[in-house]
Amino acid sequence: MKLWQILFPLCFILSLVSSSHASTFVYCSEGSPTAFNPQITTDGTSNNAAGHTIYNRLVEFKYGATEVVPGLAESWTVSPDGKTYTFKLRKGVKFGTTKYFTPTREFNADDVIFSIDRQRDTSHPYHSVNGGNYEFFKAMEVDTLISTLKKIDNYTVEFKLNKPESPFITNMAMSFMSILSKEYADQLLKENKKENIDNFPVGTGPFVFRSYEKDTLVRFEANPTYWQGTPKIDKLVFAITPDANVRYQKLKTGECHLIIEPAPADINAMKQDSKLKVMESAGLNVGYLAFNVKKKPFDNLDVRRAIYHALNRTSYINAIYMGNAILAKNPLPPTIWSYNDKTEDYPFNIEKAKALLAKAGHPNGFAAELWTLPVTRPYNPNGKKMGEMMQADLAKIGIKVTLVSYDWPTYLAKSRNGEHQMIQLGWTGDNGDPDNFLNVLLGCSGMKAGSNVAQWCQKDFNQKIVKAKSISNQEARTKLYKEAQEIFHDRAPWVPVAHAMIYRAMSAKVQGYKIDPLGGDIFREVYIE
Amino acid sequence: MELEQAKELTPQTPFQEFYQSFALNKGAVIGLAVLLFFIAVGISSPFLAPYDPTQLFDGAYRLPPFFSSGGNTKFLLGTDDVGRDILSRLIHGTALSLGVGIMIVVVSLVLGTIFGLLAGYFGKSVDRTVMRFTDIVMALPSTLLAIVVAAILGPGLVNAVWAVSIVAIPNYIRLVRALVMAEKKRAYVMAAQAYGAGHIRIMVSEILPNCTAPIIVQATLGLSEGILNAAALGFLGLGAQPPTPEWGTMLADARPFLENSPWMVTFPGLCILLVVLALNLVGDGLRDALDPRLKR
Repeated sequence: MKLWQILFPLCFILSLVSSSHASTFVYCSEGSPTAFNPQITTDGTSNNAAGHTIYNRLVEFKYGATEVVPGLAESWTVSPDGKTYTFKLRKGVKFGTTKYFTPTREFNADDVIFSIDRQRDTSHPYHSVNGGNYEFFKAMEVDTLISTLKKIDNYTVEFKLNKPESPFITNMAMSFMSILSKEYADQLLKENKKENIDNFPVGTGPFVFRSYEKDTLVRFEANPTYWQGTPKIDKLVFAITPDANVRYQKLKTGECHLIIEPAPADINAMKQDSKLKVMESAGLNVGYLAFNVKKKPFDNLDVRRAIYHALNRTSYINAIYMGNAILAKNPLPPTIWSYNDKTEDYPFNIEKAKALLAKAGHPNGFAAELWTLPVTRPYNPNGKKMGEMMQADLAKIGIKVTLVSYDWPTYLAKSRNGEHQMIQLGWTGDNGDPDNFLNVLLGCSGMKAGSNVAQWCQKDFNQKIVKAKSISNQEARTKLYKEAQEIFHDRAPWVPVAHAMIYRAMSAKVQGYKIDPLGGDIFREVYIE
Repeated sequence: MELEQAKELTPQTPFQEFYQSFALNKGAVIGLAVLLFFIAVGISSPFLAPYDPTQLFDGAYRLPPFFSSGGNTKFLLGTDDVGRDILSRLIHGTALSLGVGIMIVVVSLVLGTIFGLLAGYFGKSVDRTVMRFTDIVMALPSTLLAIVVAAILGPGLVNAVWAVSIVAIPNYIRLVRALVMAEKKRAYVMAAQAYGAGHIRIMVSEILPNCTAPIIVQATLGLSEGILNAAALGFLGLGAQPPTPEWGTMLADARPFLENSPWMVTFPGLCILLVVLALNLVGDGLRDALDPRLKR
């Protein structure tokens, strides 16, 4: 890279920040978005750059909470059998105007039908555009759940489901249910530029898309016609900065106003800096070590329990998370309803671990592979180091561990195929429902989809979570989920490690920012003093 | 008087001659001393290190070295982010880094010398084939090539040795080939041919001994380059695998803590710097002492 190639964007950002135009907000993000449409992306980076800035959904999560509130739908009704959902749409919502598209009509039912049918209907003209893989839509089983989708009038849509499903409304608030403009899609169809729909986005959200340079910048402007009121900042810039140390430097020099995921090691220094502000929140996440219960010797319950006892997890919390996490004992984080606080954790006890291992027929231990997380995730800031600590702990009971890792996409693909023995992984909740953890990560259906990396399909457990999914009484669901957690604890398909805190560091002048428990960065109410 | 005269008249042995001119080069002598120190540390590492390099001290995370505030004489150079003693890791790493460097030199030297001898001695198509291969390898940036080879072979210390060796081979081939081409026209080679000596005999016991000096110099400089490249691979996660205390890997692990625990990155970095510098100084000294054209 030539010097000017580095300096030019740098000067550009600097000029943006320093030009006393206080309403340009620079956010230092961690990576390049893969596309500007949450229907086809699954990563948080892309979601921040599109789902929360450009688009809205029929229902949305309340800012800074997991509660579902009306979005583009003013209200909704559910039929008594729980199979028909009717949404009354909001009137007077305008799509954003960009260089490439000027809307001539307001948002209506056609846009809703278009956005969902694109993902649902394989013969839809947009279905196979840009790969046609709607991972979330399939993983949440929305494709098989919706039987019909009907426009009653311009401002009413009706969903008919195949079976009652209580997490349906929270699923509707997730980013993959974002509403795109049908008018824009029709225009692209005429111009024969269908693939632009995912890269040059048009939505009803608080910001409109201006430009994107890969690995450098994403620029947005406030949407002056936003239905919840124009955002307080005029311009929003995502300065893409993958290295956490560099992000911190940029924050100190004032090149960014807010940075994503500061390194745990820097947090104390940030807190002491009067020009900076650090916000923290209990994350809706879990980091864990999963056993592949289909492989020997991890099919043996005593082996799994022995490893559970042998891992000094408190030391990981102190060393890897630097104390910024809660020790996990359940697959659910404590911030989610139905968390079972009565679970009694397996204590760290080498003697007991040795005894269990001997009972399982491995008095001298065995050799095994442990896969370590190759990237920094909110639920595990340093998988490799945690792996080294686990390796040292397991050596004490005679288990010789080889650490293995692959690049992130390969790691996920191989783990879906169940090629691992022990694997570090984790999960950040998408919608605040326990089903999003227990069913996706530990249910039998998750085993088919590949998200259940323990390959653990236990009849009693699965029965409880499937039943809990189909009823809508929260008390009854809570009871079932608590029982399911007891079974999980007893059978130990994972060693849950931690629920990490989420941190955001920002300039002390930033106001109105709230941490999203679902992991996003939302700027519609943010401003600079 | 007589005795003194006799001394002056005795011709110096090659070693004496070499020693005299090497000793004149102060930098080279200091380099040699540093190198011998590291070698001694490396050999005695199991006895010298206060702790097992992989032992975790619960609670002792990122302790600074003893001389700065908050430090502890229990851990002289401090601890890393998971509570391992940095001094013990460095001491064990010395043996590892030097061993890796020597292995790299041995592998690339042996292979490079064989191919260089063949190319230089036989010439024609053998020469063309070998030299085109070296041209291809040398056309690629060396670190990049090492990364590619290590990525193909898979991460690990042994594979890293192969990766770096393959990259280093062309240097030896070129050097040996040039030397052999110059030597093979000399009268003593022709004499050997006239006596009916075989190709292998001429190559190995006639020509090769006359090429040793430049090869030794190249090997010394190659050693430092090898250590550096192996550390680079370790830094990129393609070399030694955890919990092996390799210097490059230690450096990579310490990077996130540059700002608030600088000692974690300072000490391994310093070790790499010292060893490589010492080797380069020694290499320069050897060249000056062995090359007759550079002799005063």
